[in-house]
Amino acid sequence: MGDVANAFFNGEIFKESIWLLVKTLPTVFEVLILGLVCSYLWGLILSLMRLSRFRVLRYITGAYIDFFRGLPLLLLFVFIYYGLGTAGLKIGALVSGVLGLTLCYGAYSAEIFRAGIQAIPKGQTEAARSLGMTNGQAMRYVILPQAIKLVVPPLTNEFIAMIKDTSLMSVIAVPELLFRAKEKMGVVANPTPLTVAAIIYVVFTIPLIRVAARLETRRRKRPTGGIPASGLTPEAEMKLLAADIAGQLPKGGEGH
Amino acid sequence: MIELIDVHKSFGHLLVLQGVNLTVAKGEVVVVIGPSGSGKSTMLRCINGLEPIQKGRVIIEGEDLHGTKTDPNKIRQRIGMVFQSFNLFPHKNALHNVMMAPMKVQKKSRTEAEEIARDLLDKVGLADKMDAFPEELSGGQQQRVAIARALAMKPDMMLFDEVTSALDPELVAEVLGVMQRLAEAGMTMVVVTHEMGFAREVGSRLIFMDGGVVVEEGDPREMIPNPKEPRTQKFLSMVL
Repeated sequence: MGDVANAFFNGEIFKESIWLLVKTLPTVFEVLILGLVCSYLWGLILSLMRLSRFRVLRYITGAYIDFFRGLPLLLLFVFIYYGLGTAGLKIGALVSGVLGLTLCYGAYSAEIFRAGIQAIPKGQTEAARSLGMTNGQAMRYVILPQAIKLVVPPLTNEFIAMIKDTSLMSVIAVPELLFRAKEKMGVVANPTPLTVAAIIYVVFTIPLIRVAARLETRRRKRPTGGIPASGLTPEAEMKLLAADIAGQLPKGGEGH
Repeated sequence: MIELIDVHKSFGHLLVLQGVNLTVAKGEVVVVIGPSGSGKSTMLRCINGLEPIQKGRVIIEGEDLHGTKTDPNKIRQRIGMVFQSFNLFPHKNALHNVMMAPMKVQKKSRTEAEEIARDLLDKVGLADKMDAFPEELSGGQQQRVAIARALAMKPDMMLFDEVTSALDPELVAEVLGVMQRLAEAGMTMVVVTHEMGFAREVGSRLIFMDGGVVVEEGDPREMIPNPKEPRTQKFLSMVL
């Protein structure tokens, strides 16, 4: 028993590791914030292309989304950093990280945005069009403001997965939590740094998990009344939920 | 003002309009009745181009809606439409529902749009509900906001698509009242409805549709008691 405790909770190493790992947080936050902004913007653009009037655009976007949802993110990181690097296109580790997150999470969030947009009743577009708005104006002023409110809970879930996936960047030498923890583990020949890293991850993810759950309940409890004031139909709710689950699925064994 | 010439419309294999001809003159209140599935709502939606048509022409104030040089968005600005399910924008309060199109489409200033919106909401009897969101309003109130929203674009004509069908019976009168005042003010209106009382009192012409065509039309005060066509007789005997 003492051996196990010493392996994972060695007091001395624990203390040393805390500061060492906390120092990586600015890097993690930088990658996360850039990844969040870029991937959601890219996802929104993709979703609009996916719903475009032009068939070719729809097909190309659909293929892109399927491809990146099906690709392991780890492989993508390695490909961008080492693969392209070997081919002569050298990209820095941090930029590779953000690019990988954007390509992959853009595809996930595109599906969520699409479900959100499609969950808005058709009558909303019709009302907007009947007032003389163009398709673009209807989307911008009527559909998107409602759709975005709807996709906040599933996008929060995406963000939680993204936090965890930053650990994959340890293979491309981004000096983040897991990278430094493994380094330290090698030096001290003791896995306690991993314990510290684990604690830091859950300190950030658990509150977000609670927030996402709460947002989800609040959306479900929203009063709809008997009259279709364009509240969501149960069918649209299911579609949105399905997209959320679909967004989570390809990350293999990372359910929460 | 509105002219439909031999309009055909189908959804896949289902023929909904099979050659509709209709002319609506300025200031007329045309009431359209008919059994469900007769194509009356579809016809209304073809007037402002919400539904594309397969054959025929829709001419609004001399302009062909499907003409190559026509911008349908421009024409729609002149045609107000009110829907059975209200379709208010749930993320905006009553005032902003009415202000949106004048600001975003006609590029009016916020002050000007707000003035128009306040005036119209006052006219439909909702001066005290400007800040209310759609979900806080009754069906009748929502529908009156929807009418104000359509009127804010200062349209030349208004289309009403079964606007009282989703309302509780006690709320129907307040919406019909607003429509009646609008008719008295000289608005050109096409009204799809089941309210025969409204047709008789406010309608200047009654259209009976069945099977995707106009079967009979005439003065509602003559046609309701004495329909000529057997199909009209059958329908009226069931609804009256």
